[in-house]
Amino acid sequence: MRKVLLLAMAMALFFPLNALASYPEKPITIIVPSKAGGSTDTSARLFIKAAKKYWPKAEFVVKDVSGSGGLKGFEEIARAKPDGYTIGMVFTTQIVAHIVSKRAHYTLDSFHIIGNAMQDPLIVAVPENSPIKNLKDFIKSAKAKSMTAAVNGIGSDDFVAAKKFEQQTGVKFNLLPTKGSTEQKAMILGSHIDASFMNLSQLQAQHKAGKARIIAILADKRSEILPDVKTAAEQGYPVSMTATRGFVAPAGISKDIAAKLDDLLQKVNKDPGFIADTDKGVLFRLPMTGPEYLAYLKKLQAETQKFYDQNPW
Amino acid sequence: MILQALHALFTPVSLFAIFIGTTSGVIVGGMPGLTATMAVALLIPVTFALEPLTGLLLMGGVYCGAMYGGSIPAILLRTPGTPAAVATAIEGYPMTQQGKGGLALKISAVASFTGGTFSTLILLMIAPALATFALTFGPPEYFLLALLGLAGIVSMADDENRLVKALISGFIGLVLAVVGTDPISGMLRYTMGVTDLFDGIAFMPALIGMFSLSQMLELTGTKQVVDEAALATTKKFKREPLPKGISKSIWLGSLIGTVIGILPGEGATIAAFVSYNVAKRRSKNPQLFGKGSPEGIAAAEAGNNGCVGGSLVPTLTLGIPGNSVAAALLGGLLIHGLVPGPELFTTYGVMTYAFILSLFIANIIFLLLGLFMAPYFARISMTPTNMLIPVVCLFSVLGAYAMNNSITDVFISLLFGLAAIILQKTGFSLGALILGLILGPIAETGFAQALIIGHGSYSIFFTRPQALALWVIIILLLITPMIQIYKQSKQEKKEQTIG
Repeated sequence: MRKVLLLAMAMALFFPLNALASYPEKPITIIVPSKAGGSTDTSARLFIKAAKKYWPKAEFVVKDVSGSGGLKGFEEIARAKPDGYTIGMVFTTQIVAHIVSKRAHYTLDSFHIIGNAMQDPLIVAVPENSPIKNLKDFIKSAKAKSMTAAVNGIGSDDFVAAKKFEQQTGVKFNLLPTKGSTEQKAMILGSHIDASFMNLSQLQAQHKAGKARIIAILADKRSEILPDVKTAAEQGYPVSMTATRGFVAPAGISKDIAAKLDDLLQKVNKDPGFIADTDKGVLFRLPMTGPEYLAYLKKLQAETQKFYDQNPW
Repeated sequence: MILQALHALFTPVSLFAIFIGTTSGVIVGGMPGLTATMAVALLIPVTFALEPLTGLLLMGGVYCGAMYGGSIPAILLRTPGTPAAVATAIEGYPMTQQGKGGLALKISAVASFTGGTFSTLILLMIAPALATFALTFGPPEYFLLALLGLAGIVSMADDENRLVKALISGFIGLVLAVVGTDPISGMLRYTMGVTDLFDGIAFMPALIGMFSLSQMLELTGTKQVVDEAALATTKKFKREPLPKGISKSIWLGSLIGTVIGILPGEGATIAAFVSYNVAKRRSKNPQLFGKGSPEGIAAAEAGNNGCVGGSLVPTLTLGIPGNSVAAALLGGLLIHGLVPGPELFTTYGVMTYAFILSLFIANIIFLLLGLFMAPYFARISMTPTNMLIPVVCLFSVLGAYAMNNSITDVFISLLFGLAAIILQKTGFSLGALILGLILGPIAETGFAQALIIGHGSYSIFFTRPQALALWVIIILLLITPMIQIYKQSKQEKKEQTIG
């Protein structure tokens, strides 16, 4: 009898099949590597709202770990116990930029990539009183004089977008690193700079209100909320850049749990309630499966590495 | 539209939301380490379940309440809950020691109310015009604004000797502010590979260490905060009239706070120190400053509460948050599909105006709360230190950790607490140090960005009209105390030679 019991205990320890069948049986923590109230945080909360429909018994907890351009949060996800009860969000280009600049204590292999949910395409914006109306004017005037263009910090998505432009057109911008979109917005609206590379969601309202001008969107197709703004490719400069916001889990998580999480994200990505909520909050969706997102991240890392090697920061 | 807004506002649910928001704001602001930013951010998921308006009213109430709440521990225990309350602590704590803590709290409530109401009125009346003004401020002006705040260091010194020490303190603060990522090149400076230091030394843990923890260590030798002789005055709940002459400081603070609050950036700290500084310059009793001046409290509190309405001007009209609390509030607006801009005042006008009007009510609530509760709050200062110290220390350590969920921050605050004791004993100014630490990064970024925009030429600091105006104010604020200190030291030398 005792032997049977021991065997049963050993079985329970080594093959936690029962636990798996009922996953999740305790709250799942989602680490958000940015401030509460920001767009990544909002995305996570909208995800939870929709996920509850498919996993009615599951509890989710958001933990905001902001700081160091997301690095603190990314590291915490990579360090977490791979039991499926800690997952997290990542955003580009910061997730790969930290690897490239050798500051991260993780690599892409430290994560199981669940997939992508959101994006925020990059735009080129100029002040409302600027004579520049399109990308052609923009590049022409950048060739004529040194133009001050604001980006959000070195190594950010804005920075990489600006570098892509420089590489393709041969111009050189007077790049102005800022503390973030708030500063960029204030400088564009106050005409303190010639142009700014920033995210669509941050300036679309100002563009609609006629207080700033978006001259190009760096995406494959035009945005539904600003159908009048041409893509860069349409204007003859095939530069595309977007900030993605996806979900990951620490590497080493069991295959079954990983499959469940992957499946959940795909379901949420297609959920009508989720779609309606993101539309209302002016968040843009970019559904990608795990393998698709991993391929995307690897390509982005190689690109970012190129810019880093040319001009390290 | 405003009538409709009022209609939406005067429902039991709305009023209850404002009341709950404001009271919890006062409590949050009063706890060392808990900030208004944190509280507003925590409320965002709660607002999912509520009507958008109810959620906004809650958040607005917290914002107003917390800014005032920060002054209570600053006055009673010299443990400012927010950096904006440091100037309040400098004046309020000596008053508590003299047994006038209740009066100091009343002054703070009245000044906070006036500052808050004035700035909300401005927000209601001329928000769009003011937002345009805010936009004319660029990097050069932000650099000068930080300088203007740093000029406040001079006002923390009375004589030549203290002036040198205050300047050294400020310099130490600026040096510590160097730690972290270079804002322009992205290089790491003195971070020793610690990820927690990449963003620099977080100023809230530093503030908690320097003021809360060091103060608790200081108190270990005493029975309670209030001087023995003054105990009797604290016990008496008599109705003291507000001292004369503070109304000038209050109006000065309200005006300065509103103007500085409108400019995006961490405004409340700068606003409180600039108002304090200007009030000292224009006071008839400048010798009282630093020893418990009611005018100082009035100016600082009116200044930091003036920022509340001011910071919402660019937030609501342009979508540019005036400070971190407003940024969290903006997140709350966006999630309900309320995109800042002209539409907010037309399509969603009822909700927006109801929100603005609710700030008036929030101000009235904390005024009443402050006035009625002042004598009772004041008794906190009579709590025996053997009970007070453990409680405050617990909250301090908790607060230092909770700010960024970081254990490094706890060590930072302990380190700053120990260093603060030594600095204080040797006569160095803690206020100057924290000012340097907070304003250093703002000054550095502004300076570097201005040079980039100016393509490397320093003329950008002198050719823009706003910049020139700021130069004039800085020089005016610096000249008078310099002359005073010079005269004083000359007189002392004369006396010495005679003696």
